[in-house]
Amino acid sequence: MTATDNAIHAFVHETGGWVAAQLEACTRCGMCAEACHFYQATGNPEYAPVWKMELLRRAYEQRFTLVGGLKVSIGLDKRVTDADLSHWSDLNYHACTVCNKCSMVCPMGIDLGSLLHGMRAGLAAAEVIPADLMAAVEKQVKEGSPLGMTDSVWDERLEWVADEWEVEIPRDVKGADTMVVFSSIEVMKFPTNVAAIAKVLNKAGEKWTVSSKAREIVNFGFYQGSEENTKLFLNRVLEGAKELGVKRIVVTECGHAYDALRWHAANWITEANDFEVIHITGVLGELVGSGRIKLKPGFFNNDGTITFHDACKIQRKGGHVQEPRDILKVLAPDAFKEMTPNREESVCCGGGGGVIAVKAADPVRYAAFELKIDQVNAVGAKTVTMTCSNCRLQYTDSVEHFKLDWKVTGLAQMVADALME
Amino acid sequence: MTPSFMLLPVEKGIMRCRHTGPFSHEDVQALATFFSNYHGKLLIDLTGSTGEECAQNIKQFRPIMPTAAIFGTQIDLSILELPESYYLHFAHDVRYFETEDEALAWLRDQ
Repeated sequence: MTATDNAIHAFVHETGGWVAAQLEACTRCGMCAEACHFYQATGNPEYAPVWKMELLRRAYEQRFTLVGGLKVSIGLDKRVTDADLSHWSDLNYHACTVCNKCSMVCPMGIDLGSLLHGMRAGLAAAEVIPADLMAAVEKQVKEGSPLGMTDSVWDERLEWVADEWEVEIPRDVKGADTMVVFSSIEVMKFPTNVAAIAKVLNKAGEKWTVSSKAREIVNFGFYQGSEENTKLFLNRVLEGAKELGVKRIVVTECGHAYDALRWHAANWITEANDFEVIHITGVLGELVGSGRIKLKPGFFNNDGTITFHDACKIQRKGGHVQEPRDILKVLAPDAFKEMTPNREESVCCGGGGGVIAVKAADPVRYAAFELKIDQVNAVGAKTVTMTCSNCRLQYTDSVEHFKLDWKVTGLAQMVADALME
Repeated sequence: MTPSFMLLPVEKGIMRCRHTGPFSHEDVQALATFFSNYHGKLLIDLTGSTGEECAQNIKQFRPIMPTAAIFGTQIDLSILELPESYYLHFAHDVRYFETEDEALAWLRDQ
């Protein structure tokens, strides 16, 4: 079979009754375009979400509808070609973070995020994936991490953090209540965040552990759109949890990983339902709200204006909208200001969905970030905090790229710094 | 206790980080914070120390280091290597030089 055959096969496979209903409901109103940060930033009509999934629509129409078949036979429509796949690969992997904001604004209630994920499934089946994204997938298959965080790197790095930050990081503790799975972005790029989360959990008296089997929460199979690889990486986490007999899995700072483990795993893998899956944002909210940890009120009140970036998968999809606000109202009651739009309406950072891993996507990624620059500057913030390390990587890289005078930090780090003894 | 490093301006956009003594935990944490907030270039002066003394910290700091030129003592160059991955897009160049002049000349070019 050719690449196109594979893609069409996957698109048709994706096109069940539910997808057919979604595609038929579209009125081409264009509201999804206005919601897309890549479209907003560039004005490129090809970045309209409805257009990004055009091949899926075409495959459905031509295969399942009489009109679609007729259109092809009389030359009014054309079949999908290899060149089409390559072009739509760019549209979907360079200029879509699967942030799902388009779904929120669709007046017909179409779940565009899921359809765009279906597009990636077809492109993955055709193996039309950006080379650097695919390299990261392969690295995760072989080494357990897309960032080169091998067993020994993970081991050395956690030991270094535990030693230098003088914090206990329990490893492979059987019978612990909670298994924490860090992302390699945190371990490699934001080690202070690893120390902060450990410090907070220890202070709360949580019975927690990390697992050397489940040492990577990032899921590049999910970015790729491959169900097979997504499941492979999810199973590594679930096997680690099963081996240690924990009750819940805490996903630290990766939005897509949270989406994959919290919702997709529950639908795909029976064993996933044996564990409670929660994001660290929810844990922080629970610990502060219940009084298990106490924070120094106003600890960050004198650092200039602080704003919070809502991550698509953690706040918009995950619903962890209120906890960061409740915490920031304690830490910086006078300094915390909301950027606009915020909460579920927030605009994506531009680096999610694997986009940050694709070098060729840099121009459009930076263009999308300019929307964030305007929003942060509008409230005069000098510090931006968040609960996703992928967003944080996009922010830190863009702050340098645009030479911005901002401090970028993580909420867990702020909580750890403000803990009462 | 003597701090393990001193930060001094060299010229616009370049700071000197001079190693002055053994690393305490607080110094390592302070350096990590500095690296995450500093967007300029760094001249790392290891004069008077041994390569082994700094090796572990340089190795662990490597992924979060700004663009840096190291000189002053012989180091094992393998500690400057990073695993091949897309993450390299976001890592800065860190190199070793025999002399301060060479290090500074290279930094000015970056």
